Amino acid sequence: MFVDTVIEDKALHKPAFLIGLFITVLAIFFALNFTNTLFGEFLRPVIGDPKESGFFGRFAVSFVLAILFVLNLFAISFFKLKIQIAIVWLELFLLFLAFAYSFDLKMSFIQSRIPLMITRGLFTTIYISAISIVIATAIAIIGAIAKLSNNGFAYAISSFYTSLFRGLPLLLQLFLIYKGLPQLGFMVDAVPAAITALSLCYGAYMTEIFRAGIQSIPKGQWEASRALGFKFGLMMRKIILPQAVPIIVPPTGNQFIAMLKDSSLASVLGVWELMYLAKTLGARDFRHMEMLLTAAMIYWALTIVLEVIQARIEEKYKQKS
Amino acid sequence: MNIKFGLKKVTIVLAAALLSMNMSAKAGVVYDYIKANNELMIATDANWAPFSYIDDDGVMQGFDVEVGREIAKRMGVEARFITPDWDIITAGNWNMRWDVSVGSMTPTASRSEVLNFPATYYYTPASFAVHTDSPVTTLAGLNGKTICTTAASTWEMYLQGDLDMLGAPAFTYKVTPGTITSLKDGSMCADDTRLGAGVRNDGFIDSVPMIEGLIDAGYPVRFLGDPAFHEPLSLATDLGNNDPELDAELARIIAEMQKDYTLSLLSIQNFKSKDYTIAY
Repeated sequence: MFVDTVIEDKALHKPAFLIGLFITVLAIFFALNFTNTLFGEFLRPVIGDPKESGFFGRFAVSFVLAILFVLNLFAISFFKLKIQIAIVWLELFLLFLAFAYSFDLKMSFIQSRIPLMITRGLFTTIYISAISIVIATAIAIIGAIAKLSNNGFAYAISSFYTSLFRGLPLLLQLFLIYKGLPQLGFMVDAVPAAITALSLCYGAYMTEIFRAGIQSIPKGQWEASRALGFKFGLMMRKIILPQAVPIIVPPTGNQFIAMLKDSSLASVLGVWELMYLAKTLGARDFRHMEMLLTAAMIYWALTIVLEVIQARIEEKYKQKS
Repeated sequence: MNIKFGLKKVTIVLAAALLSMNMSAKAGVVYDYIKANNELMIATDANWAPFSYIDDDGVMQGFDVEVGREIAKRMGVEARFITPDWDIITAGNWNMRWDVSVGSMTPTASRSEVLNFPATYYYTPASFAVHTDSPVTTLAGLNGKTICTTAASTWEMYLQGDLDMLGAPAFTYKVTPGTITSLKDGSMCADDTRLGAGVRNDGFIDSVPMIEGLIDAGYPVRFLGDPAFHEPLSLATDLGNNDPELDAELARIIAEMQKDYTLSLLSIQNFKSKDYTIAY
């Protein structure tokens, strides 16, 4: 956010806000009814058997939870911003772990299958995504240039391409390529079909991102470089693209993250990537949540890596400008 | 790692396409390819224990998988398993992505429009199952209820009252469901049933060994009534790349495996000492 010198009192330090927050949270907890969960068990000494505590038990549980919630926020508000962020992240992560824990997971089951998930599943997911990202970027650069050109053919082809591939669901494209191409005599196996569909679909989105980034450079920049006698190629390399890239980076990073996760669609073609193994490895013993949650954590860790890389690149361009 | 661009296959598919224009039987195209490649590509589901599943080491296991391996062995080639979705297998038009389905497929009239069924290798009963707390006690009690099943399966056809099995014993439609929930595989149905009677479904229909596996794994489900119907389960090959020579070879191998009790032995090992390979 932009740096503001106007500093107001913290809302959390106003009694009226605190009371309002407390009542709202109390109402929400009461409506959701946590009596029959772990929280009810904690309050057993006060409310007796949670199942038979009725209205009083439900109110008592919500009351205690609401007080804890508001006190927690109030306490956090005294810390410095960075520590606040760290605490909230930690608390949300613990809540997520509690959510996972509530499935009564069998850790030994996960441990025995994690090597396969990583050597086979993660590896396949990464190489499908990495190849697709490279191809999609290449398509997007060509597509953006074509869309910005005065050549009627180039513009028509690239705009038809972006319209078609942004207009169809990715899963449908996958099936069209996997089932359709062989009928024309081109045999594509599952992995190449998945890579083709991902590249074409994300290439179309990224074409639009690249085009918009280049077009967002003010007209004056183009005119000034022309007035200085720059040729088109030189103008692009030295004036326009250095300014456009910082604009292009954040949405492109988003596309990479989305593509990494959409590579899971290859599982419908029977490719043994992360999602497919997550669905099937638990099948024999009917322990699905173990494998699904493991895959969820792996995907999440992967996207965090991508987010960090994206933040680094953005930071680099911020320093430059 | 199985990146395979299948360029070698392009010519064969093209040749097959050209030949099919003459509507003549292209004896041996697929079979020759298997022999030349020294590899039998077998399509099977990987999410259907105890018939086929992936073990801890990432190797396919189960009754169908062992039958597939044995067929490849007797053909003198290597077995390679491919695991597309069930409805992609039953839809036919495989374009030689794989050569044969060893996936417990019931021959039906509608499937035989796109697939060949060279050999039936065993027979299983299909049964309804409900949550242990379910108030339903008879099959008639499921009428008008929500029943879950696998998409594009014979059980789905049965629920729709549209089961056109070939060479199967006579049966009657004992349940008229109110709503049919068709999911990707039976284990998803069982997970829904586990949530409670009538929460997402009132019961589901699947193969008896599969439901026995669920009960062993501690699922709160029980069988409901007698088996709804018995189905013959067969190998399948692609009618689009019709290859009588391959079909004859598969039929010969299955007959041989029946004769020397290999099939019975595999059934006994995988299905709690039950021999499902004998017709009734």
